[in-house]
Amino acid sequence: MASEVLVSLTVNGDRRTAAIKPRTTLLSLLRDHLGLTGTKKGCELGECGACTVIMNGKVVNSCVVLALDAQGAEVMTVEGLAPGSGDLHPLQKSFVKHGALQCGYCTPGMLMSSAALISRDPEPKEAAIREALGGNLCRCGSYPRVVEAVKGYKEQQKALLDTLPSEHDERDQERDLAVVGHGVTRYDAPDKVTGRALYTADLKLPGMVYGKILTSTVAHGRIKKLDVSKAKVLPGVLGVLTGADVTDTLYGVSPPRYDEHILSKGVVRYVGDEVAAVCAVDEETAEEALRLIEVEYEELPAVFDPEKAIEPGAPLVHPDDPRFKNNINTKVEWRFGDIDQGFAEADHVREQRFVGNRTYQAPIEPHAALARWEHPGDRVTLWSSTQVPHYLQHMIGRTLGIPGSNIRVIRPAVGGGFGGKAEATPLDFCAVLFSKMTGRPVMMVYDRREMFLHYRGRHKQVMDLKIGVKKDGTITAVKFRSVLDGGAYSSYGVITAYYAGSMLPTLYKFSNYHYDGLRVLTNLPAAGAFRGHGVPHPRFAFESLLDMIAKDLGLDPIELRLKNAMTPETRTVNALDISSCEFIATLNKAREESGWREKRGKLPRGKGIGVGSGGFVSGAGYPIYRSDFPHSNAIVRVHEDGHNATVEIAAADIGQGSDTMVAQVAAEALGIPYQCVNVVSDDSRVAPIDLGSYSSRVTLMAGNAVKMAATAARDKIVLSAARLLGCSPQSLTARDGRIFVKEHPSMSMEWAEAARLAFSVGGPVVGTGWYQPPAGLGGGFKGSTVGTSPAYSFSTVIAEVTVDLETGRVQVDRVTDFSDAGTVVNPVAFHAQVEGSIIMGVGETLLEDVVHTPSGNIANGNLHDYLVPSIGETPQIRSRAVDSWEPRGPFGAKEVGEGSLVPVLGAIANAVADAIGTHVCELPITPEKVLAALKAKENLR
Amino acid sequence: MHLSDFRLHRPTSLPEACRLGKELGPSALFMAGGTDLLVDIKTRRREPSDVVSLAGLAELRGIRAGGGALTIGALTTMEELAASPAVREAATALAEAAQAVGSVQIRGRATVGGNFCAAVPCAETPPAAIALGARLRLIGPSGERTVRAEEFFTGPRATVLGPGELLAEIIVPQAAGSAGSAYLRHGRRSFTSLAVAGAGVWLSVSQGKIAAARVGLTSVAPLPLFARAAGEALVDQAPSEDAFSRAAEVAAGECRPIDDLRGSARYRRELVAVLVRRAFEAAAARAR
Repeated sequence: MASEVLVSLTVNGDRRTAAIKPRTTLLSLLRDHLGLTGTKKGCELGECGACTVIMNGKVVNSCVVLALDAQGAEVMTVEGLAPGSGDLHPLQKSFVKHGALQCGYCTPGMLMSSAALISRDPEPKEAAIREALGGNLCRCGSYPRVVEAVKGYKEQQKALLDTLPSEHDERDQERDLAVVGHGVTRYDAPDKVTGRALYTADLKLPGMVYGKILTSTVAHGRIKKLDVSKAKVLPGVLGVLTGADVTDTLYGVSPPRYDEHILSKGVVRYVGDEVAAVCAVDEETAEEALRLIEVEYEELPAVFDPEKAIEPGAPLVHPDDPRFKNNINTKVEWRFGDIDQGFAEADHVREQRFVGNRTYQAPIEPHAALARWEHPGDRVTLWSSTQVPHYLQHMIGRTLGIPGSNIRVIRPAVGGGFGGKAEATPLDFCAVLFSKMTGRPVMMVYDRREMFLHYRGRHKQVMDLKIGVKKDGTITAVKFRSVLDGGAYSSYGVITAYYAGSMLPTLYKFSNYHYDGLRVLTNLPAAGAFRGHGVPHPRFAFESLLDMIAKDLGLDPIELRLKNAMTPETRTVNALDISSCEFIATLNKAREESGWREKRGKLPRGKGIGVGSGGFVSGAGYPIYRSDFPHSNAIVRVHEDGHNATVEIAAADIGQGSDTMVAQVAAEALGIPYQCVNVVSDDSRVAPIDLGSYSSRVTLMAGNAVKMAATAARDKIVLSAARLLGCSPQSLTARDGRIFVKEHPSMSMEWAEAARLAFSVGGPVVGTGWYQPPAGLGGGFKGSTVGTSPAYSFSTVIAEVTVDLETGRVQVDRVTDFSDAGTVVNPVAFHAQVEGSIIMGVGETLLEDVVHTPSGNIANGNLHDYLVPSIGETPQIRSRAVDSWEPRGPFGAKEVGEGSLVPVLGAIANAVADAIGTHVCELPITPEKVLAALKAKENLR
Repeated sequence: MHLSDFRLHRPTSLPEACRLGKELGPSALFMAGGTDLLVDIKTRRREPSDVVSLAGLAELRGIRAGGGALTIGALTTMEELAASPAVREAATALAEAAQAVGSVQIRGRATVGGNFCAAVPCAETPPAAIALGARLRLIGPSGERTVRAEEFFTGPRATVLGPGELLAEIIVPQAAGSAGSAYLRHGRRSFTSLAVAGAGVWLSVSQGKIAAARVGLTSVAPLPLFARAAGEALVDQAPSEDAFSRAAEVAAGECRPIDDLRGSARYRRELVAVLVRRAFEAAAARAR
């Protein structure tokens, strides 16, 4: 309709002109026309701030500015922030140095908002920084570090980028290690502060075209009519796919429960179920074509409440599937010990119902896939925003009938996952199919609402928990029942249902335990694996009930926990082998550090302090599909000049910092500086299988594989040094780029020289390594594999809150966290993960809840109504690691990324209860519920 | 998620804008900062054939004091409104309401005129303007007229504006004597959240008694609400917590909230009772 017009503006000092449609946004002009992909697309509706640029000195969300309104303007993007001399802007240096980023997707926007702030307020105070960054959402929770980075930017003006950030070199433990345990600069930070890091949707290939998916508008229905003829003839449309065009092979996550078709085969089971897909020359045309597809549904009865879904006569979500009778997707019945005896021995028994919430991972980077079919032969390259490149390769190959290694999976930078990107998506499948159909590279990206519809977020759990204790607080019996709202498909849910019950006995010792888990199908988007996988809600319930019991018995809540706390080398009642365990230390230290004794029970009304504990596996003991392959595999190659080594591993850095961990472990094992290690972790053609970033497995498993591979390479180099120095290889050690005799350090040589020698004599210096969890983990009963792990983390959180007793608003003021994560490989990454967990925990406890309309449509599928925490929700955080050593981990390390979220919900809930004198047992604890609880309490008086 | 196709018009004068608005008819929409409208077009809530950008109308910008009133151009951004010393001094509630909107990014683009013309119940500045007794100057193809702020809204997303008619200025009268105003709102998140409820209040004090008081409410009715009785209940009262509490209860009775994502009707009434009282306490402190 409207013809193209010219727009001229100055971008980063360069005069730029482009022919655009009048409706083109400034974001699209920058990214699509000018190739400046450092400015990110997060929500497209002015809600997340990822697209923030500076226009005529003011920050704007470039997604809600027309490019024509920038006519003649001066625009600055992250690419223009650095002065251009090869050096970085002080803010960029400060972000790097303070570790003020994780996945990096919000970082360009954060930097631009910060740059605008310091240009009007060169020495901003914390309140001004928070105000200035209030419109920049970060799901990794980098806020505390961003505040420090902006406060300290002036100190960075002359600093070198690769300075070791000594203020983070806290050495939470004293070990004689050269690289591990030091707060080295994040491996990916320089690329992420400059806009150089490429995420999937930033890629552009010659001839690239775009796909979009049409989804169901009804919660349950039979497709009566599906007419794609108008879409097919729209100019620019290259192909249309419907259920008739795709394989009958089902896919999913858990092999016994594959239950999804790439596109619907005639029935839709939730609003958002995939119906058809379109490929076109550009995304606008693809979107327009979707609107031309005519679909008529015969609506079927739908069910949205998991407890109603299991009542007799309820509508069935999969009526024709014998696996899912009565909407029951997974049923767990665990019986350990003698529960009746246990409760009979108790002096006090208390039971309570707790209800969780549907929370969504909401990474700021939307899911994206780019596929390029390659001739000859069934070969395809797939770039995908994924946490699990191997499972993606496996699932695409299996479903489409292509050998897995014909699918080259490349994982570009990933803007956060949290479990939401841990399985193959319809985007991945459709991009591959369209690329095969058109012979062109096909890009497919979800918009924000589509992400919410795809979901795979946290299962809402309705939980009945009963605990029996003796007078002294000793737990005698635990009975737990959880009904999990699974949504319309299985996804990870089988595993979720087992995790919900399997992790309760890992924190406290009890020998009489019943768990009944029921994962139920409903006509809602499928729930999946979200950070802490199935565990945060049961742990919230358990920690809350412990506090109620402590109050009943007049015990201090921390004393009650200490009474029952897990200790090292213990086998739990459900046959999990706890190896290292410093849980008691986390409780004691958190109590001391927080001033618990001075505060608990002594705060004025409206102020509260509460404790919660938690923990998680350090990697699942078994893979998702049966396979005997080692779980992680690495190749370390020393370059011929001896100055660098490259680690080839498929461990997926999704922003948590695993590339940094890999480089540190390799540097430590090789005996060279961190800066001398390169990591190639994005390409399945280069690196052997690693199962991916889920179940908090990467540090322990990939770390072990890298350590083994690096050690093997080092041994070859040490051998050549031994020949030259005329001593035995056993007498030598390598550290900081030198090889020397342990007993006589002055007898030494350059590591690089020894490496060159080794290459000259024996060709490529390569080491390989792998990690396989210990054999035979678990108890052999049904479902006993879930929860098995080589190691477990433990942590304690103490939260302090202020409650507005008139509005019910809760502010989390301070959080003290002590974690047992084994050896901390990188203090910066460790603290960033803990802080991110705390901030996410604030959101999950107080703010977040995916809501559906009575007809099953999502009511808050955007970042304005679905409330992830902003910088304003960031409490003051004090986090530390306790001294710990995990014998099965690389250099004693285990996980922190998921376990650190688990205690937060209970800690905040208990602090709120302390402030208002009564517990809110349903998440999220909204101001409205707080007020209702206060009223109910007053009415009881 | 893309903008639907539309013709973009960029008039450079007010008469031209009005003429375009009238000629193009109801499928054309005016755009000020675009932070609401572009979102509505992207989400297909609106699909205009034409968009008339007001960005080039310099005469609608700026804040002027004089003639016993503060005159605020409709294209004044939220950021300018919140930062203006004149507004902060003489129309504090309006500055506080502007500051409550969105984020720095949004406040730099969003205009007060746009906030009024979107006419959504959760708009922050209209209740503040209602409390301040503001009048709105409207300019259309056939001349101009002035309406009271509370008369501007006719329903959700509906105003008195006729074809081609524009909101040009917001005129806040300057009360003689001792007066103060405040705007308080409750959002679920510290930044970038819509109001669950909000209250703009104004009062003038003479010889220890409240001479006049007005209340505007956010997100508790189908439109920005003038809670007339709540203000009237304070007249001739001495400013006190008790008096403000009673007025707040009256306001809670006057509002017509609904249950939605952000809160129940019942909770919103409770909030109104708290926010109106607290806002009056703040306003009274300023009136001293």
